[in-house]
Amino acid sequence: MASDPVLKISNVSRTFGAIQALKEANFEINEGEIMGLVGENGAGKSTLVKIISGFDPGFKGSYQLNGKEVKFDTPSKAEESGIAIAQQELSLIPNMSVAENIFLTGAKVKKFATLNTLSKMARPYLDEVGLTDIDPSTRINLLSVGEQHLVEVARLISREAKILILDEPTAALGELESRRILEMVQRLAKNGKSIIYVSHRLDEIFKITKRITILRDGVSQGVQETKDIDVNKLVEIMLGRELANMFPSRADHISLVSKIEVKDLWPDGVLEPVSFSAYQGEILGLSGQLGSGAGEVLASIAGALKSRSGSLTLNGETFLPKSPSQAIKKKIAYCSSDRKKDGLFLGRPIFENLTSPALDTISKFGFNFGSTEDSYAKNLAQEFLIDVKRVYDESGLLSGGNQQKVALGKWLSIKPDVLLVNEPTRGVDVGAKSEIYQRMRELAARGITIIFASTDIQEITYLPDRVITFYRGMMIDEHRLEQIKTPVILKEITDPFNETSI
Amino acid sequence: MTTITQNNKSFFPSKFLQFYKDRTLLAILLSLFAVMFVYGIFFTDNYLTITNFKAIIRDAALYGIMAIGLTFVTLSGNFFLLSLKETASICGVTFAMGMATGFGSPDLVGNFLVSLLAALSVGVLSGVIQGYFVGMGGNPIVVTLGGAGILYGIGAWWSDNLVINFKRPHDAEWLGTGSFLGLPSITLAFILIAIAAELVLRHTNFGRKVYLVGANKAAGRATGHENFSMAIIVFTICSVCCAFVAVAFVAQMDSAQSNYFSAEFGSSGDMTILVIATVMVGGNSIMGGYGSTLRTSLGAIFIAMVDNMMVLQGFNSGPRIVGVGLMIVFSIIVFGLFAKGSRAQE
Repeated sequence: MASDPVLKISNVSRTFGAIQALKEANFEINEGEIMGLVGENGAGKSTLVKIISGFDPGFKGSYQLNGKEVKFDTPSKAEESGIAIAQQELSLIPNMSVAENIFLTGAKVKKFATLNTLSKMARPYLDEVGLTDIDPSTRINLLSVGEQHLVEVARLISREAKILILDEPTAALGELESRRILEMVQRLAKNGKSIIYVSHRLDEIFKITKRITILRDGVSQGVQETKDIDVNKLVEIMLGRELANMFPSRADHISLVSKIEVKDLWPDGVLEPVSFSAYQGEILGLSGQLGSGAGEVLASIAGALKSRSGSLTLNGETFLPKSPSQAIKKKIAYCSSDRKKDGLFLGRPIFENLTSPALDTISKFGFNFGSTEDSYAKNLAQEFLIDVKRVYDESGLLSGGNQQKVALGKWLSIKPDVLLVNEPTRGVDVGAKSEIYQRMRELAARGITIIFASTDIQEITYLPDRVITFYRGMMIDEHRLEQIKTPVILKEITDPFNETSI
Repeated sequence: MTTITQNNKSFFPSKFLQFYKDRTLLAILLSLFAVMFVYGIFFTDNYLTITNFKAIIRDAALYGIMAIGLTFVTLSGNFFLLSLKETASICGVTFAMGMATGFGSPDLVGNFLVSLLAALSVGVLSGVIQGYFVGMGGNPIVVTLGGAGILYGIGAWWSDNLVINFKRPHDAEWLGTGSFLGLPSITLAFILIAIAAELVLRHTNFGRKVYLVGANKAAGRATGHENFSMAIIVFTICSVCCAFVAVAFVAQMDSAQSNYFSAEFGSSGDMTILVIATVMVGGNSIMGGYGSTLRTSLGAIFIAMVDNMMVLQGFNSGPRIVGVGLMIVFSIIVFGLFAKGSRAQE
């Protein structure tokens, strides 16, 4: 070790009531280093991050910055010392300009400053994060989500942050946008910034970090040099056990009986009508980046998004659902990509969430005295590996992975023929991910047709039996199982027409 | 399987918190009752009499019934029906018109059933129309404020702003001033409606949908429970409750006027504010999805109790309105604090 670490945390523990979120955790980072921070949901990552960034002063242990013992009571104190965090949920003001957002606190800005001066001041910071092509007077809500992330980081740099914490910056981003973020992280590190990179996406962790700190159950499992470790080993340390195979093996054969036929579906965000069909008991993957139209196609099959034309044929009936409730009546279930927005009733108990689509089946003449519902909900919870004892708890209290299981599991209550899932594992840790994949495969084996849309290239390569690729609102190609190859798919969803080489 | 559930343990012992939150809110409400009660016994003459307690519940009944109706609206996430007193006003005028003039047909003069049905139909109609616009995506505040103007205007226009009298004896006395088993009929109606409403919320699909749609409209739509039909139903329930209260009040007064519910009603003088206060003091979430009609009923009795004591202590209407205002502020602070605690990990 050439130099001492700029930030060093040793033997830190933190308890919330009876629960110990962190025990004896250690963490350090050198100047200009990219340190990965990984762990399952609930392993203590967010607690550690909060302690580092000054949100949580109530911990025990030692916190050293540049070799000196420090204590931050508030996040702003930490920021003054050069520690800044870019949270997953952005704190930008959507209808103000990029430059105004960067200098929101008004530090270093004259009392009267025109947008023009602000724009000039913002330029170097934008260049540093790689937003060279963005005009600083653009309004934030005209930027893509990925660009907004970059602006957020530019804002932190403008306040002379030396240590940057990025909490899942790519969770809501597609492949291309993620690459921009990674490039920015590497550039910042080259300029001498220390970066703590928190992510569930292990491929990114391997691509950019120098060392990785792994947390499990609130205990740090030592620091690993990235070049000395591989994914399997990392996951093993994270879970404390071996994850035999994250993706379940595919079915031996898929009956080529067409279950649902989609004809000329044409929702907003898709350039031309789309037609395809899905077989009974297969998992069909729709691959594409954000805005490619894959998610829009799913939503319009479910009646959640209006389609200009087209029809579905399911069980011999031809129709086009105009609302989710019509689709549900035809046994089409749709699990959206944003569980907090329209997937869960966060303030209500888990069992109410689980039975919410099937209220008519569990009640008699509109009355519901609980016992049928109880067993119904508990069966579903069991099937989806949700702790049965917790079904009366508020669903908002569950971790991301368990929330996703509830959001998905509730659809089994209507005994669906077709299950549509948009982003089955967004913001979900590895353990829960593999459980969700396992469950999807089992459901398919029971004869349910599953169609899912995903921006995650691993998921698209290893989970489905067939893949359809989308690019900018167009359906590009279809791949049978034996033709599913990562590079080919990646090419088709990022640059199918060789535009970059022109 | 077990390893996963262990790994995903939450930071907060949620079951405990849920229990704690529910009980704490109830405890706060009950201890306030107790404090008021003890204070009343020691410092207020004529407080600890059965007649006085009957009076308290009777006071609570009128706005309590309307508040129960409004609770459905609030729980379903549609905020408030701001045309409460105007709905009551036009329904009261309708009823009195029926009793006094028989809507122009001499055979129907004084016919209770026809007048009642007419008043309730007006309630249903105004509820359906306002609910329709809210269900189509209109802002409930704007829609029902507009509704308020229109309803009040029609009532005033129709009655020429005059007091419509109908003489005793009439067929509605049993509802207005009559009693059964020693309880005023309006009190009995309050108790029955409170029980029925609580049962509907707890044990029917409709009740569950009210909570679900209130908790998250988008998720409600995704699971097949649209706010369109929900808004129409809850606004209709609320308006019918207003109509019923109007009929009972008019039957008691033997007369109606379009501004009966704006002045000289209960403590606060303004029916709408009093009813909204009742829902708030009961501790129902303004954003919907959390609360119950039981809380509303308790809130109504609590407000009536405080008001009653202030009357007995000789306060006139000004300070009593301040009292109601303070109760709203207090309840929002207390319930707001506790509601926050439970969703810490969202």
